[in-house]
Amino acid sequence: MASRVYVEAEIRDHPRTERLLQRMRAPAVIEIEHYGEVFNPRSQNFRLQKKNPAVIIARKNNNHVLAAPPGYGLGGKYNYYFSHMLNCIYDCRYCFLQGMYQSAHQLLFVNYEDFAERIAELAAQHADEAVWFYSGYDCDSLANEPMTRFCEYFLPRIAAIDNAWLELRTKSTQVRALLEHPVQQRIVTAFSFSDRVSHASLEHGVPSIAKRLDAMRRLQQAGWPVGLRFDPIVYHPRYREEFVALLNQVFDSVDADAIHSVSLGSFRLTRGHFRDASRLYPDEPLFAQQMVLENGIVSYPKEREREMIDFCEQELLQRIRPQSYHPCDWHG
Amino acid sequence: MLIWVSALHCEAKPVIDYYRLKKSADNNPFDLYLSEGMACVISGIGKVSAAAACAWSAAQFQRRASLAWINLGTAGAGDHEIGSLFSIHQVIDADDGQRYYPAPAAADRLDGSACMTLSRPSEDYRDECLFDMEASGYMYSSLRFSSAELIRSLKIVSDNRHHKTGKDRRRVSELVQHQIDGIAQEAKSLIALNDELAALSPDAQCWQRLTELAHFSQTQKSRLRVLWRYLMNRGFDAEKLLSDLAGSPASTIISELEQTGYRDSEEL
Repeated sequence: MASRVYVEAEIRDHPRTERLLQRMRAPAVIEIEHYGEVFNPRSQNFRLQKKNPAVIIARKNNNHVLAAPPGYGLGGKYNYYFSHMLNCIYDCRYCFLQGMYQSAHQLLFVNYEDFAERIAELAAQHADEAVWFYSGYDCDSLANEPMTRFCEYFLPRIAAIDNAWLELRTKSTQVRALLEHPVQQRIVTAFSFSDRVSHASLEHGVPSIAKRLDAMRRLQQAGWPVGLRFDPIVYHPRYREEFVALLNQVFDSVDADAIHSVSLGSFRLTRGHFRDASRLYPDEPLFAQQMVLENGIVSYPKEREREMIDFCEQELLQRIRPQSYHPCDWHG
Repeated sequence: MLIWVSALHCEAKPVIDYYRLKKSADNNPFDLYLSEGMACVISGIGKVSAAAACAWSAAQFQRRASLAWINLGTAGAGDHEIGSLFSIHQVIDADDGQRYYPAPAAADRLDGSACMTLSRPSEDYRDECLFDMEASGYMYSSLRFSSAELIRSLKIVSDNRHHKTGKDRRRVSELVQHQIDGIAQEAKSLIALNDELAALSPDAQCWQRLTELAHFSQTQKSRLRVLWRYLMNRGFDAEKLLSDLAGSPASTIISELEQTGYRDSEEL
């Protein structure tokens, strides 16, 4: 639990702020004017701050919902993302969030209504087509659910818009809120998995694979659509055996035929994020592996990447419906 | 390196005694007390003095891999008890409204408070924060040289609505001395954090010897720095690497270190 909470004065009396403060029982609540005072200054060290991140409660004033980057999505024509939080409680070395913001503090926005309004507007603009909204881009969608009650607010609102689809992307086991709601086929909870070696070395603070699979199984059994995200695949000499072992473990727990979608991609970061993350963690083997720079993206050399993706794809396609497979084609 | 910044000698004296810091005999613009890995600078009163002392100290110790800072001083308060110790979580400059936020990398052990820095002494005590004359200058300057996690401001209440200690130097030292255990605890955790960061930087002498092995362009030097930092952090023997690489051209040295790094990193 955070030992410090910063709150924007403007939303100090907002009901969600009050509920958050009550739940966190933080010893120090510090009033600020704008979250940028704490979140944006350059003189911050993400690595050190990640040891004891504070929580910042704020209002997001613009850009509530943004167009998803090219290649992000599940093949739909209209893809948007939104972030009710910035930063994640987990500490995965391969994640672009390692180099994204100056601060490791968790920034929670309380004006859900503004996000929902924009979602409704965008869905109405493409009324005859499916519109996808991704919530797990700058944060883990569910990890802070007991605190944020994101699901409680957004699930019924998405459900009420006929052409809106929502992806919740998570590494958490927080599915209770979903299980308490009526099943909605346009809301997909996508669980990200890495093999045991990558999980142990790179996914700090992330619940075990078994616990996450249990959460996924419970959702699936309740009738909720669930997805699998094997992204990023990280190279190590035993990646083949470990990936097969992971797939076996996954499909021992969940019904492969009922999986909504599966995506697969190898490790890559933008040049800037890779540089920032490797400066923060000069001792991290992941950033010392052989990589190449192509079109502003740092990734494995083509041959290695092809070999990894081909192998994993082949193994995956033996177990899932081909139409549920969506490769992460970031080469464009 | 941990640098203490205090406006007055009487505020710093308990720390100087506790850590047995020795006064520098050099002709410095600020009084400076030193030991291995620690310094204490007496800035004089006011935020400009505090900022100047920080900048001067940072220049003095620029070769250190990482600098941590503690501003230790007295403050006025509305009703807080005389002698109370606070870790400042928000510093507000009364002149320009600028706010600064120290960012502890561990849960707070001390009570927290905001502190407003004034340009002139005032007896207009308010309940919501402490008052001092240095913290905003200290924050402004120290944040140029270190990240917010390595910067603390500790204030001991010397004056309130009912009692004033301010000008009684002996009494000020007693108030600080009374809190020395709490202050030393803060210093200890900050030193550990700073050491952790400093350990990520390779030894300066080895780095210099490496760059003297061949002629490296600036681009090559950047790559070399990344590779060397990684290998040193992974516990490779610097002496052995330097001896193995001696006599090779720059491109070969980089290629050799890259291959060593690739082999080491594959296992994650």
